[in-house]
Amino acid sequence: MLTYLLRRLLLMIPTLLGITVLVFTVMAMSPGGISAQTLIGGTDMKPQEKQALLNYYNKRYGLDKPAPVQYLRWLNNVSPIGFTTDETGKQGDFSFTKGMDLGTSFQYGRPVSEILAERIPITLLLNLVTIPFTYLIAIFVGMKSAANRGSTFDVGMGVSMLGLWSIPTMLAGVLLLGFFANVQHFQWFPTAGISSREAQDMAFLPYWDQTGFVRGFLLDRIWHLILPVICLSYGSFAALAKLTRTSILENLNSDYARTARAKGLSEQDVLWKHVFRNSLLPLITISAGLLPSLLAGSLIVENIFSINGMGQLAVEAVRGRDRELVLSITWISGFLTLIGYLVADFCYTIVDPRVNYD
Amino acid sequence: MTEVNNNHESFTTRIWRKTLDGVGVKLGFFWIGLLIFAAVFAPFLANSMPLLMSKNGVISAPVLEYLSVEDSWVLATFFLALIVFKLPFALGKRIGLFLVSSALAALLVIAFVKPPVLVIYDDFRSDNFTQVDWRIMPPVPYAPTDYLRDIGSKGLEAPLTSTGHTHWMGTEENGADVFSRMIHACRISLSIGLIASGIALFIGVIVGGLMGYFSGLVDMLGMRLVEIFEDIPTLFLLLTFVAFFGRSLYMMMVIIGITGWSGYARYVRQEFLKLRKQDYVQAAIASGLPLPSILFRHMLPNGVAPLLVAVSFGVAGAILSEATLSFLGLGVVDAPSWGQMLDQAVKSSTFNWWMAVFPGGAIFMTVFAYNLIGEAFRDAIDPQLSRKAGVN
Repeated sequence: MLTYLLRRLLLMIPTLLGITVLVFTVMAMSPGGISAQTLIGGTDMKPQEKQALLNYYNKRYGLDKPAPVQYLRWLNNVSPIGFTTDETGKQGDFSFTKGMDLGTSFQYGRPVSEILAERIPITLLLNLVTIPFTYLIAIFVGMKSAANRGSTFDVGMGVSMLGLWSIPTMLAGVLLLGFFANVQHFQWFPTAGISSREAQDMAFLPYWDQTGFVRGFLLDRIWHLILPVICLSYGSFAALAKLTRTSILENLNSDYARTARAKGLSEQDVLWKHVFRNSLLPLITISAGLLPSLLAGSLIVENIFSINGMGQLAVEAVRGRDRELVLSITWISGFLTLIGYLVADFCYTIVDPRVNYD
Repeated sequence: MTEVNNNHESFTTRIWRKTLDGVGVKLGFFWIGLLIFAAVFAPFLANSMPLLMSKNGVISAPVLEYLSVEDSWVLATFFLALIVFKLPFALGKRIGLFLVSSALAALLVIAFVKPPVLVIYDDFRSDNFTQVDWRIMPPVPYAPTDYLRDIGSKGLEAPLTSTGHTHWMGTEENGADVFSRMIHACRISLSIGLIASGIALFIGVIVGGLMGYFSGLVDMLGMRLVEIFEDIPTLFLLLTFVAFFGRSLYMMMVIIGITGWSGYARYVRQEFLKLRKQDYVQAAIASGLPLPSILFRHMLPNGVAPLLVAVSFGVAGAILSEATLSFLGLGVVDAPSWGQMLDQAVKSSTFNWWMAVFPGGAIFMTVFAYNLIGEAFRDAIDPQLSRKAGVN
């Protein structure tokens, strides 16, 4: 198992390198190169200021060097082992403990790692709330459809799940926001963010005081998350429900299910204790692919609901042509995806002891 | 004597028959057909100028005079496609013929169609065009970029509430008719869906084919490439490409194409890995056929069926990608598109349901239609496959 894990981790390195090379090439190939692109916003600067800024960038990031050199330089800064560099960009000795430096964002003037540390937890929270929710609904619908195969429920769910899957996230988001978080219709939910400002001063749990009921931090957070989570989840649970249904159907007709029935077990026991456990495998395979799609989905959802997560940061970064930020976000989301695949493969061995990677 | 049941039905006909069995898939094809019709004849369906009018006994067709280069080319290729489809040649030849003739049509159109540079829509509501013996107007008498300044359109009027004019789907912020914009936006969605997935398919088939045929080292390297493209969230890769390159329609097609090929490559690779050990492939190799011939003439036709399913879902994905990019404000700027209209609905200070429901509904219907078609194809081609397929 350990060797397998090690091999998988080592195979990640070329893929991650490839991802950064790809994105870097795209940026370097763009008209005017990276240096011109980053200065697009500076049209109202005085020529001397612009020149000074350009000189600073050139010195700090080596933007006057050819693109491959720039890439190697960036890679050296990011990788945990490599050559040390000082303030002026001079190369020092090779070191194993220099640590990772993700650079400074052009746009915000702050270290990229700091910005990411702020944003990643928000996106993770959004996705971690969504995933269990998705699985619960998917398994419920899939089970029910499979158990009553051919019934009205099954057929209706089959069509409506395909329909749900086809609804673009942006349409759902815009409509939910427009109808349920709008003064013109029902103002039931907040329009933006994941917590309101006054919630920062509240206690964690809801309580009563002189002014009446105070919803507390937790309830406030949940209240803010309802619409975004609906938007993020419906597409995945539609797909998952269909998958659960086919997987359970396959197992319901298998020999062991018939044996269990022949022994006189109740249909509920057959379904939940025997069939369900064996139908989990494809659901786990899919969970690996779910993470990247959720990350992409949160890109749209975060934009609609003005949530300051990774997704919104990604859009801001590419809009501002912020090289360091774009590169870091890319490799981090790629890394998360790869880890997702690895975890899924690992879960496989837990659920099905027959699967062995050695 | 036993009766021999000779079934002369070819594979293609059988697939078609089985695919068209369901009700949903028929509706899907109907919707796509409607979109194609709207896209091709957009200038005749929604335009500010009369289709045909007679003034002082002279009959003229202002629409034809104002047809843009693009409009004429789309019309020409549509009729070319109809004609070529009827010709009794092999499929490959017909496709080749169609491509050549549409390229020729493009050259001719660029050389000969010279529409007026400036179009002032107000003119068509002046006496020159209204004081006539008779005239036929298009069903929607507003052009997509006609902001109706002269007739005092206030913008953001709900459907059928504006006085004096009928706007079936209301007007947008600048006062243009939403229905007219919707009709003209069909073109962008359809063309991006088809061409982008065509490009993706082309790259995917070549990379996947080589990977599957050679396996070994080529396969290893190819798989890394596929993984690279798969592990970056597609939307993010798209954003990066679009932000750093221009925003023209053609660029978008290419970009959506080159970011979406990895799925096809996986499909083709899997098929080819299975096929390469088959006798007929070995025979083709033994008889010394060149590589392209082995790959594309002998192996590809046998592995094409599951690919069709992937393409159908891929078109839906490409349409969705374009809509998302436009929604995030990174789409085509000068022409209306569904995603961009949806974006407008969010950006405006008040929520106007008609600005969200109609374009969003159109995106949904199109994606749904392609998904329905894809599912039907899958069930028709391989009942086994339908069981395995999860999230596409």
